Amino acid sequence: MFFLQSLLSGILTGGVYALAGIGMSLVFGVMNISNFAHGDLMMLGMYLAYFAFTLLHIDPYLSLLLIIPTAFLFGFIIEKLFIHRIINHPHQNQILLTIGLGLIMSNSALLAFTSDPKILTTTYSSSAFHFFGGISLSVPLLLSFVITCGIIGVLFFFLSKSTTGLALWATSQNREAAQLMGINVAKMSAIAFGLGTALAATAGALIAPTYYIHPMAGHTFLLKAFTICVLGGLGSVIGAGVGGVIIGVVESMASTYLSSDWKDVVVFIIFLAVLLLRPQGLFGKKGEQ
Amino acid sequence: MKQSAIIVIIAAVAALLPLMTGENPYVLGVMISVLMMAALSSAWNILGGYAGQYSFGHAAYFGAGAYTTMILISTFNVNPLVSMAAGIIIACIIALITGSIVFRLRGHYFGLASIAVAEIVRLSVLNVDFSGGAQGILLSDLSLWGLDLNSKNPFYYGMLIVLVVTLGITLYLRRSKTGFYLQAIREDQDAAASLGINLSFYKNKALLISAALTSVLGSLYALYIRFIDTSAVLDLRLSIEIILTAIIGGVGTLWGPVLGAVLLVPLAEMLRSNVIGETLVKHGIVSETSGLGLFLKDNLAHAHVLVYGIITVLCILFLPKGILGLFRRTK
Repeated sequence: MFFLQSLLSGILTGGVYALAGIGMSLVFGVMNISNFAHGDLMMLGMYLAYFAFTLLHIDPYLSLLLIIPTAFLFGFIIEKLFIHRIINHPHQNQILLTIGLGLIMSNSALLAFTSDPKILTTTYSSSAFHFFGGISLSVPLLLSFVITCGIIGVLFFFLSKSTTGLALWATSQNREAAQLMGINVAKMSAIAFGLGTALAATAGALIAPTYYIHPMAGHTFLLKAFTICVLGGLGSVIGAGVGGVIIGVVESMASTYLSSDWKDVVVFIIFLAVLLLRPQGLFGKKGEQ
Repeated sequence: MKQSAIIVIIAAVAALLPLMTGENPYVLGVMISVLMMAALSSAWNILGGYAGQYSFGHAAYFGAGAYTTMILISTFNVNPLVSMAAGIIIACIIALITGSIVFRLRGHYFGLASIAVAEIVRLSVLNVDFSGGAQGILLSDLSLWGLDLNSKNPFYYGMLIVLVVTLGITLYLRRSKTGFYLQAIREDQDAAASLGINLSFYKNKALLISAALTSVLGSLYALYIRFIDTSAVLDLRLSIEIILTAIIGGVGTLWGPVLGAVLLVPLAEMLRSNVIGETLVKHGIVSETSGLGLFLKDNLAHAHVLVYGIITVLCILFLPKGILGLFRRTK
């Protein structure tokens, strides 16, 4: 029963992780950049949901309708201002630039919102559905999971059916060839980064009701998002989805059977194991490492 | 011979500095921080600058030195120098394990894996019992052969010695076979391998030298501050500060990391102790009671990491080869 309980809550949390992982993987696939500011973009999403709730009295899940376009625009502008200048630079410079951008975001948040953690409490925050056999699932987690599935569905439809989506796929497969076919790859990069930011902020907003909101929250999620991406294969959107759920379940199992202090260690060991044994990830292309 | 003469001259001048600044503990403290960051960044530079392996996890070796020293002294009352040697051994063991994992990987994956190893070390130290966990370790009085280790002077000279040794090793490596191999690996791994260079041997060699020096600095830092916790000595932010210092001065140059430390550390200290805010108020540029004045007074001390972030972004965009790289290009 413990097993079933932690499996289910792992899957539910994993859904939100998947969203963050997909955002990062999309950016990596299209732009070939590891975005170290991804965790801090999630943190901004958490604060957006918090302020939409406390100042504008909008339900955190409803506020996504505001947060998604805002975050997309923010990411689009960040790409145009900073990232696109270093798209052909060595990896280490790209990593350092995004680390720098992340430091600016987290420390501006620290100045603006102080380091006191904020808690978003909705009327249904602590309520849960109870099932037979004593299994209970928290309402906010369940809601987040359902919304996550919806967003992933829409994203897949967009990527596989729309012209822009197909152009994004093409750019991620071969940048030069895509350019030769008349695709505006610079615009695709900005769109990819905007989408990545929107997905990160959405993931942040979705976990805001069940998490402490503080300026340094991005740090943990950044490393988790990387693990998810590497597990699924950097650049693979489906892989990141599956990877997210796997990491959610692993974490939940590690907290139940080991100790919650060690769950992050378990995640990082899996990360290294994947890098060593199957560096292309579960769904990645071979020869990418 | 010219470079080694410069090292000797600068070391001699640095050795005399404390006599000139007198007994001002604040200035001496800042100078110790400068020397430490210069040495840390130079040690990182052996691996990152010359071999081109950007390690994002050097805090692990710093922490290994700091924690080994503190645990040995506080529980077994070991001689500080012996504890330092033990720190080197622990750091080298971690380096060997890390090297065997991360050096098979390239590009993005290498950077990510080095972070993951450092995070595993940090979380493990945080969660085991004998390390003091989240509370850290505090040390009371300390002395070595009649030398009073509660004062700052011994640490100034300690850091200076490690810096000179690090620069000396860098200079020696640069002219040796190993140094040429490392630079060949940096420029093109596959070409280097096809010429018969044993990639993993030389990368591990560079990592071990770098880790050992970093661990000595960690031990010195721990003895100097006499309090450590994971956020001070094992945090990802420390690894990033080390890289950033090298980047701003010039990666892969002998003096780049030193220059970076001379510029960045005093800036960070000034922000931290709010000297800038107070100066602006004192000279009447910003009124103390105005909104901006109050804001600066309250918040500038917390803003030094923000300034680091801004400098990183500007440096990567406009000065990716660092200040010394700029001179080299115009020559």
